[in-house]
Amino acid sequence: MSTVLEARGLVRRYPGDGSPIRAVDGVDLAVEAGEAVSVMGPSGCGKSTLLHLLGGLERPDAGELSLGGVRVDRFSETRWAVFRRRGVGFVFQAFHLVDELTAVENVELPALLVGVSRRAARSRAMELLERLGVAGRAGHLPHHLSGGEQQRVAVARALVNEPMVILADEPTGNLDSRATGDILRLFGELGQAGQALLTMTHDARVASTADRLLTMRDGAIVAQTRLGAGTSVAGLLASLADLGGER
Amino acid sequence: MRWLGLAVRLAAGNLRRRPGQALLLLLTLTIATGVLGVAMSLYGSADEPWNRAWRATKGFHVNFTVYHPPDEPGDRALVAALRRRASQLTGASGVVAVGGPWSHLYGSIQIGGGTEDLTAEVRDPGPYQVDQPLVTSGRWLGQGGGVVLESGLAATLRVGAGDTVTVQGRPFPVRGVAQTVSRGRFPLSRPAQVWVTPETARQLRGLGMTEEGFELQLHLADPARAADFVAAHRSLEAVPSSSSVVPYMETWQQRRSESHSDIDIVAGTLFAAGDLIGILTVATASVLIAGRMAAQIRQVGTLKAVGVTPRQVMLVLLVEHLAIAAGATAVGLGIGRLLAAPIAATSVTILGRPQPPPLTVTRVVIVAAVAVAVVLLGTVRPALRGIRQSTLRSLASGPPPPRRPGRLGGLAARAGIPLPGVLGLRSAWRRPGRLLTNATGLALGVAMIVVALALRDSLDLLDLRPPEPGHAASDAAVAILYDQIRAIILGTAGLLLVLATVNAWIVATFAARDAARNQAVLRAVGATPRQTVIALIVSQLAACMIAVAVGIPLGLGLWGLMEAGDLPEVRVSATSLVVLAAAVPVAFAVIVSVPARLLARQPVAPLLAYE
Amino acid sequence: MRDMILSLLAKEPAHGYELRQRLMQALGPAGAALNPGQVYVTLSRLERAGLVEAREVAQPSQPDKKVYELTASGLERVLHWLNDLTWSKVAPLEFHLKLVAAAATRLADPVALVDSQRLELLRELRQVQELALQEPPEADGALLLEGASLRLQADIRWLEVCQQRFVEREVR
Repeated sequence: MSTVLEARGLVRRYPGDGSPIRAVDGVDLAVEAGEAVSVMGPSGCGKSTLLHLLGGLERPDAGELSLGGVRVDRFSETRWAVFRRRGVGFVFQAFHLVDELTAVENVELPALLVGVSRRAARSRAMELLERLGVAGRAGHLPHHLSGGEQQRVAVARALVNEPMVILADEPTGNLDSRATGDILRLFGELGQAGQALLTMTHDARVASTADRLLTMRDGAIVAQTRLGAGTSVAGLLASLADLGGER
Repeated sequence: MRWLGLAVRLAAGNLRRRPGQALLLLLTLTIATGVLGVAMSLYGSADEPWNRAWRATKGFHVNFTVYHPPDEPGDRALVAALRRRASQLTGASGVVAVGGPWSHLYGSIQIGGGTEDLTAEVRDPGPYQVDQPLVTSGRWLGQGGGVVLESGLAATLRVGAGDTVTVQGRPFPVRGVAQTVSRGRFPLSRPAQVWVTPETARQLRGLGMTEEGFELQLHLADPARAADFVAAHRSLEAVPSSSSVVPYMETWQQRRSESHSDIDIVAGTLFAAGDLIGILTVATASVLIAGRMAAQIRQVGTLKAVGVTPRQVMLVLLVEHLAIAAGATAVGLGIGRLLAAPIAATSVTILGRPQPPPLTVTRVVIVAAVAVAVVLLGTVRPALRGIRQSTLRSLASGPPPPRRPGRLGGLAARAGIPLPGVLGLRSAWRRPGRLLTNATGLALGVAMIVVALALRDSLDLLDLRPPEPGHAASDAAVAILYDQIRAIILGTAGLLLVLATVNAWIVATFAARDAARNQAVLRAVGATPRQTVIALIVSQLAACMIAVAVGIPLGLGLWGLMEAGDLPEVRVSATSLVVLAAAVPVAFAVIVSVPARLLARQPVAPLLAYE
Repeated sequence: MRDMILSLLAKEPAHGYELRQRLMQALGPAGAALNPGQVYVTLSRLERAGLVEAREVAQPSQPDKKVYELTASGLERVLHWLNDLTWSKVAPLEFHLKLVAAAATRLADPVALVDSQRLELLRELRQVQELALQEPPEADGALLLEGASLRLQADIRWLEVCQQRFVEREVR
């Protein structure tokens, strides 16, 4: 399996009162093609900053980063922007759709940026919206869509250029439980379809869908485990344990 | 009424916390109120010195002057009749003292390299019950020859007692210099005047000076009723229409109001300038106010907890802005009083030290009205939008959402315009409210540039007056006045250009700020910084095109309103307008590119953080 | 278990096989884990306690089957059970004791304990979610799985709090 994303010794500092704060403090991380990885940690542990670094939205103060085998940590803004079109798909907690564009215009945008023809971009965008169950809302502006619909449009946008990896930052943070369930299902399907996925979350439900779980604290990765299959169903019933004490 | 007090306290708190934009608004308003304040203070700042001189010289309450052209002595009978009428007047009821009648002789005096018309008033040495000129140098008429010069004439000739002047080609010693209010000050008031004794008059007649009329001055028991007296004796001014004799009766108030025409002209010009600047300020203020409101409405969450409704939020913001308007009024009036005296002192007509008149309610109200009007006009649109929205949550979500997309969005794409251009055009088209606000602001700026061009063209008018023979010196003095006015006009035109640029800068900066989040999203999905800059410039150029199309006719219309009726029309040349129409979008694109580029240089991540 | 069987008989009598089906329907996938033998053991205990009585029913082409039916006291017990407000297993007492013991005796590292338990719960949560994906949303079973999911989330969150507390203690 090829390594889609590799980070070594990433560091990001911010000036604080007194000594600078290390938001990301020497992180090593790798994601294989088709792998779903979750990073869990309390708020303020640096998950969002790490995600920004991995996607080029912020520059590391030290360390190396490669995407698809290409060293990207020294890229200029412009080079990053061009690379990001096919390299990375973002899904944000706040959805971040361009509020002046309709759903389908939002989704086709990365394709148009890459140079795909208008027609091809539009049809690919509609295809994705169809797949994600929001094709009926294609011509609507974001503020006419519910949170769950907006996030699905955002996922479609992230997928349109078939990126190497999707970076998701608290994708369910702004959603009610029903919409969360939809996104969970969606991410599960993506994982099974072979899309590399890196999700920052503090929601246990989202984290538990991953193949590999990383725990982050104070800017560093402190634990890494494969989740694998769960215990037997009998054990499941036992964990419910409401059977009058009888096992 | 309880929440009014709360509103005031909240407004005060807001102003203290984010003073930057408030200060900018205050500054913009103060430019308009300052100019108006100076104009207001100039009007009438010559009155007090005139009053002082009037009291000191026992100035007239009613003046009766008869003038006949010196080259036409044919109306001698009529003039004699008028003299009789004048002596009848001296016995009219209400008259308590009389000065004159004094004869006037017409001749010439040498000034600089040329000659100037001269009136010699013939008087016995006095003293007089009415119009006792105040001697400022030397002595009054008396034994021995010599002439007493009117103070303005002396100042123009730069002579004093003991010097010599050349009248009718002959040198005469200057006995003294004196001030009077019976006549305006030379050189703005023509002709020049000297006083002479009857003996000197005989000399002057021998040298060729001729009769041109006489003057009678009266004191009334009730000076305030001078107008009634004149009205009652209007018949004295009746002469056959074919005659060239001019009898003229005037009150002291009339004379005073005509005695300082140069200050009046300067004040009038400043007043018009202040109005223009006020209009432009509406544009700038509305952008500043809208931006300030949007920023504050987003923080409305805490207010909501106290149970405040959207209407009350609007009230708080209105209170804040009215407070700023009040501040601008006070500062403007203050500036007016400070600057009025030095400006008035440059006048050639003033009798003594100028003194700004006391602040009347009218003056304060006029200046305040302009400031409040600007603020209210700037507040209308955002306030209407705020009151129409029913929930605070929708208020808090930022700029108004784009309207439903039409098919025009697709048209642009189909036309083959590159992607950043398409994005920019969509951005402009789908937020019509903001497009209109920006276009209005810019249109006013363009209108002001058109007016500035017209003002500059109008300066040529001031050069067109042909020099008149016999008026060399006074023409020179008038030229100085015209230079002053020219300076004011040029200064106003320049100020308008500067303000239009500042206005464009503010519009551009707010546009960049509004677009910040969308720009960040674009960059996150792979648009290069250059592409986002182009998109922003294109979206702003849409507003700019509308502004040029509306602003040029608007500016021409405003200039048409402002033109004085008797001045020849000033047409801004079509070439200038075409150049303007081409140059403004280019200049605006350059202006927008600065905040756009700064924005593109900012890191993306903070803009995308979850709020 | 007893109250569960009794409640399933409250609607109408049933024989063992039917009973197991009703159980499967009520529990969904969790029901699959149930030992079939347990149902019969419980039924006989209930019979002995007088809450249920059995009848033989003759069948044409099959051996006789035993049909179970609620007695009057059985019905009374069901009513009592339905209106009882006791909520079991509110506090994870056992694990809490484990942590305290580990911290006091140093026989195990509390932070490591929490970490492994948390991973285990995450695995279970994953399984519950996978099962839930396969159930139609209106089925009773899906409701039960949602309850399981929420409880697991709550427990995981509590474990994170425990971790935070013990990490802070270590720092001091």
